[in-house]
Amino acid sequence: MSSDPADLPLDELDEAILQQVRDVSDIVDPPPPDLDDRALFAIGLEAMEFEVARLQEDVTAAGARVSANTRAVTFEADSLTIMATISAVGEGHSRIEGWLAPPGPRRVDLRSTGHDGPSRRVFAEPSGRFVFERVPSGVTQFVVRVEPHGLMVVTSLLLL
Amino acid sequence: MNAEHPSGADLRLQRIERLAACLTRAKEGDLSALDSVVRELNPLLWRVARSQGLSDDDAADAVQTTWLELVRQLAVIHSPLALTSWLVRATKREAWRVNARRRKSANPGHEALDDAPDDAPAPDDRLLTHERDRTLWRHFARLSERCRTLLALVAYAERPDYAAIVEALGMPHGSIGPTRGRCLAKLRAMLLADPEWCAA
Repeated sequence: MSSDPADLPLDELDEAILQQVRDVSDIVDPPPPDLDDRALFAIGLEAMEFEVARLQEDVTAAGARVSANTRAVTFEADSLTIMATISAVGEGHSRIEGWLAPPGPRRVDLRSTGHDGPSRRVFAEPSGRFVFERVPSGVTQFVVRVEPHGLMVVTSLLLL
Repeated sequence: MNAEHPSGADLRLQRIERLAACLTRAKEGDLSALDSVVRELNPLLWRVARSQGLSDDDAADAVQTTWLELVRQLAVIHSPLALTSWLVRATKREAWRVNARRRKSANPGHEALDDAPDDAPAPDDRLLTHERDRTLWRHFARLSERCRTLLALVAYAERPDYAAIVEALGMPHGSIGPTRGRCLAKLRAMLLADPEWCAA
């Protein structure tokens, strides 16, 4: 038998200590209250075959991450880069102007927690440019269909 | 076995069976089966992302992207135990990507955990109003950063998942579960020696 307490099996007191660590962590460093909702939104895509375009850049004119009038974001996947500028237009809405690289007349869907119903859809111009007017604040995501193979590229979530 | 008071082992088995059922349904295309999995494991993944030195915003970003990736990769996950392990690793990987992006854009204030001094302070305790909580946190803060990270993550996990967390953190086997391990043994000894601390 070892006399080292570290070698003893976990008991109820250990469980109680860990529970206290959890309780205290929840107080001093709580997750955002909408973390579950955002994760559920991500899963709510209802598709299983896609490529994820991750946020690479997120800058505002003022250099702060949010709350300036214009924000520029870049998402990158292996097969596609999506750049967008987001401009505040009045209370609680934004205008999004985006570009796809490589360019092409692709279908772009915008998912958002800010509006009800299915996602909004536009088709990018041959130059790759696309625009969404009056996008409500909330969790937002672009879904781009890349022809000819029909692969879907979805961005990580963006909080507008 | 007592049906009215199921043992910890029974409860753990029930949880594993429930997770397995969710996983099967999700693989068959019913992604709503993952809702309860999200609610159960999100607190752990949040803690994993934070342990990698991410800000609140970046940690949320890493966690969300992890769930997106999970949906893509469901086919490679064969058991409930593999699920937690996969999620913890994926969150670490996403956090690593965010840290790499932050370093590239040379944004100060977003240093990776690896760059942080080993005696970085634990979060402050101004929010703690109960004496018991403050006592626990005071002793917790005296542990090494490595021990604090391990215990903070394990505190959000179920016991069968301890090994996956220990492995994902690159810590030696036996750091915790089935035995107590050094970090918890140390915290326990400090708490038991403190008359101000109570277990309940």
